[in-house]
Amino acid sequence: MLSRLAESYYWIGRYVERAEATSRLLAEHYHLTVEDRSVSDDEAAAVVLDALSLPYDVVSTPTELVRALLGDTTNPSTVIGAVSSARENARSVRDAISGDVFEALNGAHLTLTRGLMTTASPAASMYRVLERLMVVNGAVEWTMPRDEGHAFLSLGRALERIDMTARLLDVRHDLGWPETGPVATLRSAAAYSPFLRTGETPSGERVREFLVLDPTFPRSMLQSARSAETACRTVQQFGGDDDDLLREVGLMRARLEFASGTHNAHVVDQLAAEAQESAIAAGSAVAEAYFRQAGTIVWSH
Amino acid sequence: MPSQDAASGPAVAPVPAASPGSGTGAVAYDEMRDATGAPRAGLDTVDSVLTTLGHDGLVERAKLRDAYLDRQGITFSVSGRERPLPLDLVPRVVGAAEWDRVELGIKQRIRALELFLADVYGPGEILEEGVVPRRLITTSRHYHRAAFGLVPPNGVRIHVAGIDLIRDEHGEFRVLEDNLRCPSGVSYVLENRRTLAHVLPEVFAGHQVRSVAEYPERLLDALRAAGPSDVADPTVAILTPGVHNSAHFEHAFLARRMGAELVEGRDLFCRDDRLYMRTVRGPRPIHVLYRRIDDEYLDPVHFVPDSLLGVPGLLNAARAGNVAIANAVGNGVADDKAVYPYVPRMIDYYLGETPILPNVTTYDLSDVDQREHVLANLGRMVVKPVDGSGGYGLVIGTAATEKQLASVRDDILADPRGWIAQPIVELSTCPTLVESGLEPRHVDLRPFAVNDGTDIYVLPGGLTRVALPKGSLVVNSSQGGGSKDTWVLDEGARASAAEREDEVPLVTRVRRSAVARHHAPAGAEDRLRQQEGQQQQAGPPALPRAAEVS
Repeated sequence: MLSRLAESYYWIGRYVERAEATSRLLAEHYHLTVEDRSVSDDEAAAVVLDALSLPYDVVSTPTELVRALLGDTTNPSTVIGAVSSARENARSVRDAISGDVFEALNGAHLTLTRGLMTTASPAASMYRVLERLMVVNGAVEWTMPRDEGHAFLSLGRALERIDMTARLLDVRHDLGWPETGPVATLRSAAAYSPFLRTGETPSGERVREFLVLDPTFPRSMLQSARSAETACRTVQQFGGDDDDLLREVGLMRARLEFASGTHNAHVVDQLAAEAQESAIAAGSAVAEAYFRQAGTIVWSH
Repeated sequence: MPSQDAASGPAVAPVPAASPGSGTGAVAYDEMRDATGAPRAGLDTVDSVLTTLGHDGLVERAKLRDAYLDRQGITFSVSGRERPLPLDLVPRVVGAAEWDRVELGIKQRIRALELFLADVYGPGEILEEGVVPRRLITTSRHYHRAAFGLVPPNGVRIHVAGIDLIRDEHGEFRVLEDNLRCPSGVSYVLENRRTLAHVLPEVFAGHQVRSVAEYPERLLDALRAAGPSDVADPTVAILTPGVHNSAHFEHAFLARRMGAELVEGRDLFCRDDRLYMRTVRGPRPIHVLYRRIDDEYLDPVHFVPDSLLGVPGLLNAARAGNVAIANAVGNGVADDKAVYPYVPRMIDYYLGETPILPNVTTYDLSDVDQREHVLANLGRMVVKPVDGSGGYGLVIGTAATEKQLASVRDDILADPRGWIAQPIVELSTCPTLVESGLEPRHVDLRPFAVNDGTDIYVLPGGLTRVALPKGSLVVNSSQGGGSKDTWVLDEGARASAAEREDEVPLVTRVRRSAVARHHAPAGAEDRLRQQEGQQQQAGPPALPRAAEVS
């Protein structure tokens, strides 16, 4: 497989995940600030933007926050930016991906850019985008052959998911909105119903532990690390050679899997921070191993 | 089948007036504006948002709302058809001080009703002393001898109550009826809040509305507290009649929010006075059963023998103290419409207190003097069958024909225990979006209360039901009723937000994301894209014209 193709698959996975997580966070955070006004508007905007590494000094109203997070095509850390970047990458591998995947991505892109967004109800608009993104993921799982391309896409998705979960935890809904915040965090990760099935009460501490360490919830950091490891091994099965990448991902998975003292809030937060750093290191390792091999170039005359 | 559904339940407003002024001549209390026409406290934002949006804006939001409710599948069934519960866009607001009184009144009422139930299923002192006539109890269809002497582990019989309130012409809240069996509608309270915040976020600006989200948690705590005393970690299950029940959405909703198992009769069995559910790993014990089916169907050993909805042997298991049934069997005797007029006396008898929330004047027609008075004034009365629900069988004096009145008179004389009568009360109104725009419509209020044995929690607000047809008296969903998001304003919240000003801002308290984001290498790609684009515009590069040169 061409390095360029592999890289595009990887970034489709990452950007779709980023768009999805950001949309959900936007919808639920907005909803939270409407229902629970215990934090001032500008501070409520600042915590989210800061967690997403976006500039936060210029935003002070909920509507401005919606605009900032929707963003534009120039910043791939915003919803519109991530979707259009995913679509750009899909365009460059359009011959190789299924029509369904491209159409679904294109649909999400058009929903966002053709003025279908309404600031009257940002949450309603975000759910429309989320529906399109779920179709993208459905098409990926149903129509893509389980080849290297799929493995790179899955790897990108898993690493981005870890990063986004860490950022979601950085918003600290539980500190700003002690009563309704923990549920908002869960909803932002589509984790509310799965959490409730455990029969526990959503407290800030338990919610953080769930999102980092739950062994069955597919968006927990532990499950994402396992997915990343599986994807790395699949790439190796196709002849990939990436000891650094597999080591990084495998260690991250093991740290989460065999963590002790996990009922301690500090330990959980430490694990989340380490996992995020690992995901970043893994991102660099995958680029080095597969997308930009330098090696020695020998010129023959 | 369940008679206390918000959707198909018995709440019927004894109000015939189509518009203020008709009927009794009294003017309905306006929930939105005071006598001068100014918005009431807390409603100024709501009022200005509604004005700004205008009719077209509201219609647009109504479409958003319908799409949202449809997508979420927030429905109730009427005659087997699933429909979204009509949610009106204009919230109903109750002030903090007013609410405090309502809350105290409901707690007081439930404490008295608990004592009453313990009494009539035990020593029967209140009957001995004649405070409540014994004949009312012995003739009540909901008094179950099978429950006599059955004392629940923590003494609680009314785990969940829905007390229906109306506001009279003077703005005073009055109790219209008690629902102590399977009051439903609480899921709509939670979903209404979420839906309104979703489609009309701007009305919330500047208010702190007391949260309703903790209800499932409080309910779960109360149910667990009701469990057998020798079980440290009781298992709670919700018993539903099945997906065809009108309130199935609510049963599933509560099960999901509480993380409790939702079971049907066929999932359960009793052995050795213990209740079990069938699981893939064999029988698992259940310690607390929050049943959402009627007493009559609960246990074929004691009640309807061919019931497929219940569990044979359940009552014996409860009597053995191995399972708690919530709400308790036989609660219906305390919310019998003919017993309702005696609740104020119960409050006095058991608690030595004056009722905080008054009743609506109600005549017990099995009492000769009261019956004579009612029959002489039938044209000014609302007459209800004690077992009626959903507004069926109700006759309103001012709206009835001579023939109807004559037939009601015959019915009452034939079965005085089967009917009650109330003078007409003008129900309060609230602006409601109908086809022609915002118009006043009559509303009631059903607050929900949860009793865990040590404390009674009253959900702030409750379900406001609104009679949508013009002039309608019946706030019932099966008769064209809708609902409203109901706010209780939290006036302490502003102060606490202000106190927090001194604290370190939230954004500096959290771990700053010093972590840079990864992006696809954009620089190189942009250059590439630029070059590719240029090529497309310029067409295929021209051939070198070397030959010409040479």
